[in-house]
Amino acid sequence: MEGVFNQPDFAPCPACGVPLLTEVFPALFRKTTAGQSAQAVMVEGESSCFYHAEKKAVLPCDACGRFLCALCDCLVHGSHYCPACLEAGKTKGKIKSLEIQRTHYDNIALSLVILPVAFLVTVIFSPFSVIGLGTAPAAIFVAIRYWNAPQSIVGRSRIRFVIAILIALLEIAGWIILFIYIFLAPHHGIHARY
Amino acid sequence: MESTPDIKYILLSRSGVPLLYRASSWLAADHLLSIESNVFTETYKRFYFRDIQAILVHKTKRFEIWNLVLGIVVLGLVLYTIAIMPKTASDWNDNTTPGVIALAGITALLILALLLNLIGGRTCTTFLRTAVQIERLPSLARVRATRGALAKIHPLIVEAQGGELSAEAVSEQMQEWSEPAPEVASSQITRDDPNAPPRLNS
Repeated sequence: MEGVFNQPDFAPCPACGVPLLTEVFPALFRKTTAGQSAQAVMVEGESSCFYHAEKKAVLPCDACGRFLCALCDCLVHGSHYCPACLEAGKTKGKIKSLEIQRTHYDNIALSLVILPVAFLVTVIFSPFSVIGLGTAPAAIFVAIRYWNAPQSIVGRSRIRFVIAILIALLEIAGWIILFIYIFLAPHHGIHARY
Repeated sequence: MESTPDIKYILLSRSGVPLLYRASSWLAADHLLSIESNVFTETYKRFYFRDIQAILVHKTKRFEIWNLVLGIVVLGLVLYTIAIMPKTASDWNDNTTPGVIALAGITALLILALLLNLIGGRTCTTFLRTAVQIERLPSLARVRATRGALAKIHPLIVEAQGGELSAEAVSEQMQEWSEPAPEVASSQITRDDPNAPPRLNS
């Protein structure tokens, strides 16, 4: 295997010949240490873990204050949490380093206004084109409702929300003009031709 | 529970098709963030520098395959467009013009895709190994971009792990690993606490 690891350039794999670039770091050879084990309560009246009554408490949860044994202690960036608070922190997005997913509400709002228009263009005059009647207000609702919702974890502007609202307003205005043209001014509308 | 402060991220690499699927890698002070996003959601994976054991990059043939496929299709479309294109200005009429324009448009899009593939350069697949996982980094799919990303990540990992390994040191360690471990008699293993991992009686 010599000549494969930590080389400045790609080197062929000794087994299959595929060009490989392998960077190995000291963590690969670090000795793994055994995890902490919880100690049993020895003396009656000794503080015990909230989740394991028979285990000795070693510290309180930094969020809720419950006593925790060594097994239940979850260390995150220097803070100790119990599993319940850790889960709550993850789901509510309070602990950013635990977040694994975010929703692009701005893209949802934008899709609500753009997709029906694309549909309208491709299937013009089809009865399905009235879908656009409902999605434009829905887009405005989504944009306002989720204006302050967390965007991407790496930063993202709200420009898509603004664009979605503007297009939605234009669509609504277009629908209103169309209805006025058809129903309130029949002499100018399609009825006038027949 | 107090909200944790925002973390500053620096873009390392990005790949994928805009609007449909994107993968990107971002650098923070102590970890690498890999993001995969579709139209409506994005998912995160964090790799802390202290935990990264190895990064493995291997070249793939996607670059050549895409060039070949796109090249053949583009060549065919260009030849076909030239063949059906009216030879003189007077031959242009309402029947031929839309077809030629549509064909030319499709050809132009495919030429653009071919050019983007050529500009992107050779392709690769990148894997990152920690003690508990081997993850593919979809954003590091081009050799040039991957080399640039590695040049930025490498010093941060080395700093976090307190040193660098030379090629010889790695080979020596690997040699040690490949040697068979001495057998341990089962009587030497103690399992007194059910919560604690088994340990050897030295």
